[in-house]
Amino acid sequence: MSNLLRLTWRLLKGGGRQGLLGSSLTIVAVAVSTALLLFAVAVNFAFAGRADRGAWRHPVPAKGEARAVEALHIDFLGDRPITVVDVAVLEPGVAPPRGLSRLPMPGEVAISPALAGEPALRGRYPGKIVGTIGDEGLVHPGELVAVVGHAPGDAAVSAKWKGDYRLGQSATKVADFTGAPSSDAVAYRFLAIIASVFMVVPLLVFGGAAARLTVARRDRRLASLRLVGATPGQVVAMTVAEAVITAFAGAVLGLALYAVAIPPLTQVEITGGTWFTSDMWPGVLPIAAVLLAVPLLVGLSAVVGLRRVVVSPLGVARRETPPGMRFIRVVVLLAILAVVPAMGMGVSVGVVAVVLGSAFLALNLVGPWVVGVIGRVTARTARGPARLLAGRRLVDDPRSAWRTVSGVALTGFVAGFIGLLTPPTDLDVGSDKATAWLLQDIRTGTVVVLAVSFLVAIVSSGITAASSVLDRRQTYALLRLAGTDLAVLDKARRLETLIPLVVMGGGSIATGMFCAAPFARLGVSAAGALTLLICVAAGFAGVIAAGALSRPLLRSVTTDPAPRPD
Amino acid sequence: MSQIVLEGRDLKKSFGPTVALAGVDFVVHRGEAVAIMGPSGSGKSTLLHCLAGIMRPDSGEVHLLGQRIDTLGERKRSALRRTRFGFVFQFGQLLPELPADENVALPLMLGDVPRAQAVQQARSWFGPLGLAGMEGRRPGELSGGQAQRVAIARALATRPAVVFADEPTGALDQATGHDTMRLLVDATRRNDASLVVVTHDPEVARWCDRVVEVRDGRILTGPPHTGYVTPAGLPNAGYATTVAPSYTGHVPAPQVPQESPRGWRPEAGER
Repeated sequence: MSNLLRLTWRLLKGGGRQGLLGSSLTIVAVAVSTALLLFAVAVNFAFAGRADRGAWRHPVPAKGEARAVEALHIDFLGDRPITVVDVAVLEPGVAPPRGLSRLPMPGEVAISPALAGEPALRGRYPGKIVGTIGDEGLVHPGELVAVVGHAPGDAAVSAKWKGDYRLGQSATKVADFTGAPSSDAVAYRFLAIIASVFMVVPLLVFGGAAARLTVARRDRRLASLRLVGATPGQVVAMTVAEAVITAFAGAVLGLALYAVAIPPLTQVEITGGTWFTSDMWPGVLPIAAVLLAVPLLVGLSAVVGLRRVVVSPLGVARRETPPGMRFIRVVVLLAILAVVPAMGMGVSVGVVAVVLGSAFLALNLVGPWVVGVIGRVTARTARGPARLLAGRRLVDDPRSAWRTVSGVALTGFVAGFIGLLTPPTDLDVGSDKATAWLLQDIRTGTVVVLAVSFLVAIVSSGITAASSVLDRRQTYALLRLAGTDLAVLDKARRLETLIPLVVMGGGSIATGMFCAAPFARLGVSAAGALTLLICVAAGFAGVIAAGALSRPLLRSVTTDPAPRPD
Repeated sequence: MSQIVLEGRDLKKSFGPTVALAGVDFVVHRGEAVAIMGPSGSGKSTLLHCLAGIMRPDSGEVHLLGQRIDTLGERKRSALRRTRFGFVFQFGQLLPELPADENVALPLMLGDVPRAQAVQQARSWFGPLGLAGMEGRRPGELSGGQAQRVAIARALATRPAVVFADEPTGALDQATGHDTMRLLVDATRRNDASLVVVTHDPEVARWCDRVVEVRDGRILTGPPHTGYVTPAGLPNAGYATTVAPSYTGHVPAPQVPQESPRGWRPEAGER
């Protein structure tokens, strides 16, 4: 076994410039995936953290003996909310809420550091300041909070709240100040889970693609090893070892990338506030889990890609028309989409997440099939050489062509889904500040999710384009040598990406809109349509630009005139 | 002596400290088949690359039909390779994703021949080259010898002035190699093209009219070798005598013997 590892390591190191380039592409791809995966995970922990830290303000009625009374309402300083918690102690000795060392007595207040630093608020909550609320009791940095002490009979701790349910809670007798996360906090966690699904699925697809990035070259090398007598087990072990070593390096680099990105990420405002650095740090265990899971997934994906070599040492030496993919893929997608109209606001978050995730994955399953069909049509109707080459290439390896565009196509799903749900900017909410926040947050969330998806999509298409040049360098070099213009090769490459992109991108947007329909209460808004339009334009531009970036690589691999067997 | 088609004069080429060509003069006449022989590293492939406009020599001149081509820009040399030269390599020159007929049609399509016409012309090569029924097969589904014959068809499809072959039988067994060489030499000659074959195999070289030996970047002078003799009385197709890529789209039907390939295996004495 150690011999095998040593050989793997030698092959990795001895891959030469092209091999090194291939491994670097994989590392970069895995690094970007890992960083974004960590972000998707952290988002959930961040919202959970906010919900926990703010729970003490939302009283839960005492089941047994009441020891205190708690009431909550939101004041405003301009547009900035001030959380005011009125408390009265019924029985001395009740533990203070998190972030406070003791409860304010009647005539006393405890305030957050931000409130203490706000001169406009001096005197609005009269009383002796007896404490400052620590970070663990604040939802976000800079939050304005006041805890005002009262006697049990005071109006503030006995009146019923008559305003907007999102802006206050009636006085409640409580046993302690543990509280429960507010319904808003729960709703945000729900949205965070949906956003994570949107970000994680393309990441998984991209991660899988990363593993197979340079598979053509590796396949050939491992087929040679099979020919000299390596057992299937040894070949699989070497593949896994190589993929896992590379992926682990990528995952560690991804962690570093993510760490660098934390400070700017904490500045994204949601519910009127930014984030603590610790919010964006999901903790040692989740990070360790990601660092472990990413290389394992990449290894698994590499093994799947190698099935053919293991079956036959000649498997990749001979290029034959691959067996056609079955229509069942389309049936799976249709079956999942059939469930969608049954969903609505009443369905639990788990079901929604599963259905959305499945629709997403099914799109990924249908992708290569559709690309194959498009390829056949393109090849049949092609008049010029570039279109013919593009079409035949799509038929030859629809999966690889799909990998180049899958990111953007899947983002189309997200864009379609969100485009339908984006609230109009001119929606008249009047003085309803709570609704205004929610709408603003949905817009912010949309931008973040779309930015992440597009980043994945564009990086993935750039990397797959580069790796496809590397994998097919011999073909390109020979074509160049026989007098083919670089422009024809480039046009073929562009068509090979653009044709499936247009078809699958459109299909995915439509699927996304279909999945969003049960939740769309506000109708299609101008803002949503604009978001969608910007997404489509940005996605196309990004993919074309990413593909153009590999043009110098194409030029460099085709300048070496002597074809070599590799 | 017949017309000179391709000429290299005092060609020199170095790669860093390594001298690949140290002043080579080389001439190919119309319809002639010349073998360039030499051991590995002798400079024979570099000579082919310089003659074919793939590479520019450091000094010296290359003339095609009297016109200097080594000074042309990359774009013009590309066009020249596409229209006036054909290439057959040891392996890998066929695009794995295209069926055989489209592989042959590709250079025609690159020259703006409409697809249907290009494919039709491409297919007309299959029968004479013993490839009938193989039109729709992909390179992975062809044997080594069949793939080389498709490559020969592709090299000749554009009616080139010169066909360059680099170790064309290197990946084939001896019998298939002989068949392939015979087809290559015959088909080239019948289409009035010249042939330049780079090889290290004397058996391959014997198919050619003349053998040039290269050692350490120089041509060895020795007694001229006479090899395979063209069967007389077969029609030649003729080719345009301009260098400029003047490809207009119309290509006459391929001129190869109409018997089955087995029928034209040379007698033992002919070799």
